[in-house]
Amino acid sequence: MKYISYLFLATLIIVSSCSEDEPTQIETGTFQLKFDNFAGSTEIDLVNPGSTDYMFNTTSGEPFNITTFRYYISKVKLEGPDGEVFEDEMNVSANADDVRGFYLVNEADASSKFITLKDIPAGRYNKVTFTIGIGEEGIEEGAAGGILDPAEGAWFWNWNAGYIGFAIEGGAANSGQERVEGDGWLIEEKSFALHIGGWKEITPADGETQKFVNNLKEVTLDFDSNLRVGAGLDPNAHIVVDALKLLDGASIDFSATYSVHAPKAGQAFAQFIPEAFILDHTHQ
Amino acid sequence: MVTLKFYTHLALCWVCVSMLLISCGEDEISVVSEFEFVKPAHFPEPTYTLDNNPVTEQGFLLGRKLFFDPLLSVDGSVSCNTCHIQSTAFADSQQHPLSFGIENRVGIRNAPMLANMAFVPDFFWDGGVNHLDFVAINAIESEVEMGETLENVVRKLNEDSEYPDLFKEAFDTDKVTSPFMLQALSQFMILMVSDQSKYDQYIRNETALSADELQGLSLFEAKCSSCHSGTLFTDFSYRNNGISETFSDTGRETITEFSGDIGKFRVPSLRNIGLTAPYMHNAKFWSLDEVLEHYRSGIKTSPTLDPLLQNGISMTDDEKDKIILFLRTLTDQEFRSNPKFRNQ
Repeated sequence: MKYISYLFLATLIIVSSCSEDEPTQIETGTFQLKFDNFAGSTEIDLVNPGSTDYMFNTTSGEPFNITTFRYYISKVKLEGPDGEVFEDEMNVSANADDVRGFYLVNEADASSKFITLKDIPAGRYNKVTFTIGIGEEGIEEGAAGGILDPAEGAWFWNWNAGYIGFAIEGGAANSGQERVEGDGWLIEEKSFALHIGGWKEITPADGETQKFVNNLKEVTLDFDSNLRVGAGLDPNAHIVVDALKLLDGASIDFSATYSVHAPKAGQAFAQFIPEAFILDHTHQ
Repeated sequence: MVTLKFYTHLALCWVCVSMLLISCGEDEISVVSEFEFVKPAHFPEPTYTLDNNPVTEQGFLLGRKLFFDPLLSVDGSVSCNTCHIQSTAFADSQQHPLSFGIENRVGIRNAPMLANMAFVPDFFWDGGVNHLDFVAINAIESEVEMGETLENVVRKLNEDSEYPDLFKEAFDTDKVTSPFMLQALSQFMILMVSDQSKYDQYIRNETALSADELQGLSLFEAKCSSCHSGTLFTDFSYRNNGISETFSDTGRETITEFSGDIGKFRVPSLRNIGLTAPYMHNAKFWSLDEVLEHYRSGIKTSPTLDPLLQNGISMTDDEKDKIILFLRTLTDQEFRSNPKFRNQ
């Protein structure tokens, strides 16, 4: 008995000395974002590299297909008409289990197209904001695990450290790309690769031109109604991502533009990212 | 019986108190071990994110093992140590003026020394990498260096007979992953602090510089320190120092994509400069005398040439010799022979 009482005392001391103010339990719920990837009005159906089955056309009539379509979502925020604000937790860690708030939507992985936000205070929400790409909060903390680990599928530029925020790869009838084979890798003839990255925001000194290209883009989408979040509810928003907005926006000519692998070259496409993300519909 | 009861009470109280200390204690009594990062008093604040990756003995030793392990390369032929040798303050050996990789492939730049990496804001001659953790990825995946993929290195480490246990000890992880591998390498490099040169001893009033060395120091301050400034002898800026009129390797421009940066390269630290020949990003000069002669009479003009070098740096032969004499006081013999950094 005495032991038990001492243990109780010890526990009491620990709890009272360390615990912060316990928050009163507030009702929370989830919210799901679903991403559907399209090229114009056709849903993207990936083909294997080298395929000459061109099922899409740019507005200028360039036939193409898509072999890879992926982008990072980060800094997700929900806002409501009554002043509700929910900011998704962000954390960078070498430990994969502790990485929070960074999402990779990869057309090749159906489950990656659903992002479920948790612990959202109950209430009404009518707007979502997120960033396409990974900014300084994901890079300046050093090596990170999980979704940010280059050895586990994250796309990272070694030479100009940073993540590739948006990538479209495929084949195009007019592509100027020749076949290139290296140590264990192959670039197919008539393929294209558009890798959009670049996150550094450095204000130029007086009289200097802006250096570095920051291709991070923020997307804000208003919902078509107020969606209620709370226990037992399953609100979600379906977002269409249209690859053609980038390709048509930049007036791509695949014979000249088929290999984009640096921030400046990606700028022409990145500027159309915000309009490529379109709210399609919502479910309460 | 009463006594026993008293001691039981005492022991249990002690348990209570120690639990309290364990659960809440933050400030622990600091005992500086050789595996602790200590900023030298006259150095700037470290740039490395130590909070994310505090140095531990196990992490440092794992990083050291990785540093010397050719497993990191695709054919097991080169390690980090191939181009970063302790006797030259972890710069390249003179047999390899440019970085050297698998199948005798040769890179385009001279491998810099690795001393004092904890204080560097951006890495490589062009500053393209913002964090020490990411530095090793370049060497591992470069086709002219290790020719490997990060993914495959991680696979090899997981299949190794020793590494999984070492990662478990260092990072309490059941699986080897790339961020822990990169953090271990960083821990090894973070402790590579070089602060025992004759110049450091002079700064700490532990030794005196000779009259000629002192003259060299004041000449250096007058003629060189606008770029090679501070305790680390660099302002970490990028400049075109007139090494060439045209640049096939455009340097900083590769990263900024700004034409005004063509031909600009990182101003290197001059610590241990007496050990790290050849000099410049392209290994153009083999002696300090050639380097100073370049600044005196060999500046090549191009649109981005640094304004400070438009007319070169004037100096007499005697002044040049004294500056070199001073530069040799930046050599840290203890660092280059410290067994802590040796492959064991």
